[in-house]
Formats: sequence, C-alpha cells, structure tokens
Amino acid sequence: MKQSIGERLFQIFNYTLLFLLAATMIAPLLQLLAVSFSSPIAADSKEVFLIPVEFTLDTWKHILQNEVLWRAFGVTVFITIVGTILSMLFTVLTAFPLSRKDFLLRKPIMLMMVLTMIFNAPMIPFFLTVREVGLMDSIWALIIPGLVSTFNMVIVRTFFLGIPSDLDDAARIDGCNEFRLLFQIYLQLSKPVLATIGLFYAVGYWNTFKTAVLFLRNPDLWPLQMRLRAFFTSEEELAAVDLIMGDFDFNTTTLKAATIIFATIPIVLVYPYLQKYFVKGAVLGSLKE
Amino acid sequence: MDGHIKNEQVMAEKNGFWDRFNQNSFIKNVRKHWMLYLMILPGIIYYIIFKYIPLMGSVIAFQDFQIFKGLFASPWVGLENFKHLLHYQDFHEVLRNTALIALYQLVFQFPAPIILALLFNEIRILIVKKTVQSLFYLPHFLSWVVVGGIVFELLASQGIVNAIREMLGFEPILFMQEEAYFRTIVVISGVWKEIGWGTIIYLAAITAINPSLYEAAVIDGANRFKQTIYITLPLLLPTISVLFLLNIGNFLELGFDQIFNLLTPMTYSVGDIIETYVYRAGVLQGQYSLTTAIGLFQSVIGFALLWIFNRLARKSEQGLW
Repeated sequence: MKQSIGERLFQIFNYTLLFLLAATMIAPLLQLLAVSFSSPIAADSKEVFLIPVEFTLDTWKHILQNEVLWRAFGVTVFITIVGTILSMLFTVLTAFPLSRKDFLLRKPIMLMMVLTMIFNAPMIPFFLTVREVGLMDSIWALIIPGLVSTFNMVIVRTFFLGIPSDLDDAARIDGCNEFRLLFQIYLQLSKPVLATIGLFYAVGYWNTFKTAVLFLRNPDLWPLQMRLRAFFTSEEELAAVDLIMGDFDFNTTTLKAATIIFATIPIVLVYPYLQKYFVKGAVLGSLKE
Repeated sequence: MDGHIKNEQVMAEKNGFWDRFNQNSFIKNVRKHWMLYLMILPGIIYYIIFKYIPLMGSVIAFQDFQIFKGLFASPWVGLENFKHLLHYQDFHEVLRNTALIALYQLVFQFPAPIILALLFNEIRILIVKKTVQSLFYLPHFLSWVVVGGIVFELLASQGIVNAIREMLGFEPILFMQEEAYFRTIVVISGVWKEIGWGTIIYLAAITAINPSLYEAAVIDGANRFKQTIYITLPLLLPTISVLFLLNIGNFLELGFDQIFNLLTPMTYSVGDIIETYVYRAGVLQGQYSLTTAIGLFQSVIGFALLWIFNRLARKSEQGLW
C-alpha cells in the first residue's frame, strides 16, 4: 500500500516515541541495577549511567547476608504460596455455584458480592473488624481479610458460564456429584483462567503492603515490601549498616538500589508467564453481564 | 428507553425469583443441590465478615466510639463528627489535596492509555509491537513500595536526574522534599506505572472493530489519521465511558500505597490525602469516629459522582446500569 509523506513521517515519529517511552519503562530498573554493582564513591558522585562504575559485589554480598531481609522474604514467600492456594480455592468454590442455573440464590448472592466493588468499607471500620476478629499481629492478617477478590471471582464465573452445559448432563448421567463436577471437569477445562487469576493473586500477595501497615506491629512478621519501606525510611536501620561498614565497599545508596532490585527479581522472573495469561484475564474481567 | 426495558427485565426476574421462592421450592432446591450451598458458604461468611460488617461498622461515624465500650455501648452523637469536620483545619487541607490530585489524575492519567493504545495500533510490525508492549506492562506488577523507592533513588541529590541536571549546568534539586514538585511526581509516577496496563482493554476493543469499516473508509479516501478520528475513536467511546464511570466512583480514592510511599513530612501540606490522614489520625492515634466520618464522606462523594455521571452517560452512550 502506498503511504503519503505525512503518514511516513508519522510512522517514524510514532516508532521513535514508543521506543523512547518503552525505554523509560525499563531504564530506572537498569540504572538501579548498575548502581547496586558500583562502588559507593562512584554511585554518590553521579558517575553511574546504566553501566556499573568500579564494579563491586560487596553491596550484594551484604544484602544477601542480611538475615532480616531474608526473614521478610520468607514471610512473603509463605503468604504468596499459602495465600494464593487459599484464595484460588475460595474463589473457585464461590464462583461455581454462582454460575449454576440450578442454584436458586444465584442472583441475590451475586448482587451482594458485586455491590462490594462499588461500596467498599472505609478504612477504620475495616481495621476495627479485623482487629476484633483477632488477626492483629498475625501473619494471617495478610491473607484472610483480602482472601477473595470480587474481580477475580467474576472472571472465573464468566468462564464457567461459557462451558457448554452438555457436559453437565453427561456428567450427571454418569452419577457425578457437584463437587466432582467442579473439581474433575470444570477445573480441568479452566486451566488458562485459573493460571491467570493465580498469577493475579500471587502478584498481589507478593506486593502485600497496606494490610501489613495496618495490622502488623511486630517487625518479625513484616513481609518484604514492609521491610523495604522500613529500610528506605528509617535512619536507624541505615545507620546500623553504616556502623558495621568498615572496610566494605557499599553505602546506603548502593544498598537501597540493591534491595529494590532484590524485591523485583521474582516478578521479573515470572513475568514471561504472567504476560502469557494476564492480557486474557484483564479483558475477561471487564466483560459486563 | 433502554433503561425502561432493563427495568422490566429486572422486575420479571424478581417476580420469577419470588414465585419460585414462595412455592416452597427453596427447601427442595437446598435438598437437591446442598453441595452448591455448602460450596458457597465459606465465600458468604468471608463477604459478611470482611465486607459487610465493616460497611455496617461505618455507623461509628455517628457515634462517639470508644473502643472499650464497643459498637453497642458507645454514645450516639448524630452529625456531631461531620459538623466538627467542617470547622477542622486539617480536614480542609486534606480534602483540597485529595480533590486536586484526583483531578490531575483524571485529566492526565485517564486519557494517557487511550492515546497510547491508538499509537500501539499504528505499529504494523508484530514483533516490535509485542516487545514494546511487554516493556510497557512491566511496571504495573511492581509494588508502590518498589516504585516509590525507585522514584526516591532517581530523584535523590546523587540520583540520575540531578546528575543530568548537573551535566547541563543546573543546580541540583531535592525533588522529594519540595512541595512544588510533589503532585507532578504523583501524576508522572502514576502514569509511568499504569499507562501500559491501561491500554489492554482499549486494545481489545480496537481488535473487535469490524475491519470492513476501515476498508470502506479507505475506498472513500480516508487516510490513517482520519480512520482513527472517525472510526476507531468513536467506536472506543462506549469502552471509554464505562472505564470513566468505574474511575469516577473511586474519584477520591487515590490509592493509599502510592501516596504513602511518596510522602514525606516535608510534603504533607500538599500531599497528605484522605487515606494517609485517616491512617495516621485513625489507626495510629485512635480517633476512630472522626476518621470514619471522613471515610464515609469520601464514599458518599464517590457514589454521588458515579450516579451523576452515569445519568449523563445514559443520555448519550450507555451507563453502568
């Protein structure tokens, strides 16, 4: 097809603009990666531009020996695995009856759940309720109060509704009850959507922050994000680092950069899988009924 | 017109539901499908405890709630807390900050993904499109703690932004400590994190457009630009309108995580928003009733805006209900 000069100019402009913007999406992380491998003197004298200057592993050695950080990492891994499994289970168990025409309370219950997407409770009554339930300073406070995401539940339900009902009849003739129907037939057919919401939940748990701010006073229970935040803001923790610094080749600038990268690596590692599924999920969730 | 038909349908469904209910078939239904009821029970309990009880708990906004007396023994004070708010200096400041940042977000952050989606749509080379898109989606998956950390590091006195300023011969600026830059930083970091993710729904809507429309336009001599203006954009309007409505309902809810992780005591005067204030005054200092009143105020404004804009949307396009 022939293009006018104007269109060709636009194409050049468009490609340039998008490449530049796309570069800004990844450049901040690359810059911090470079800083984390640079000497503190180079980092503080503004010499580092995307490539490490005076390459050193000291910052990373220190980070990877930091027990407090690993403890927080452990908490996050725990809530990510256990939380994702529990959330998936609760979501699927809730979505399935809501997709069944045989289920008489389908409409009112669905309405009750979707309404919470519009009317969500203010922070304080939510806080007081969770405290009343006895979850203050418990690791379960990071999982249970946010167990089911209505958005994800609607995605799964929409998918279940799309499964042809001939299958049900066949299953029923074979004497298959509703639990087996869900777990042996529906879930087998829903693997892509389960992968999608599983990844949504997992990323959500990995990034858990607000619930930790609200409910955890005990620093031993802090998840990774909370620990990072403390590390960025509290001078004492940084001072403790400076005290033991001695001969080592790092400072708070390089340490902060390294902790940011540390918390990002797992996300980047699962990113290719994430990407495979999330587009589908984001679109499915937006379907109106 | 549309709404009328919808209403009738709802009525019909309601009648159907109650008819079946009245015929005592409910008990039969439970007997026959007890497994479905068992399955949904944990979900219902979850929604009641963590969604509805806190929602009902909002009534402490009309009480002088004392934690040791509890919900039932605390004295009722009517609208006292709300009256108090109106004369409360902190509240004025926090409300102004919230409304301004919300407005900036609506003006800059909302249209950004629409424009980006249209630009993506002009990329013809598939592999380039995919690569560029994957880069744009990445920041969505980072937490605000991480993004906040990145922003602080890059804008620090020894950060890369000041390094570039120095190379160009400018004085370094402590961006995060200056009130003048705070809202700009909030908007830019918000756009950076969510612009790519926001395109997904629009791109899906663009894919759904019938290609014959474009073919017809080409025959009529429309170039790409005209096709975008006269075909793509108008057909995106329903999607835009729905997303706008979903957005406006949460107008004053800016997202605790973002502001909390960018705020420093130096920038409270311009950046302290309802959610961060409620956290400090409510959760940390225990002014439960007053801060719940603020939260309730926020929800009511959100719902009022949603209702108004939904009415407007129904006149031209389609609303949420």
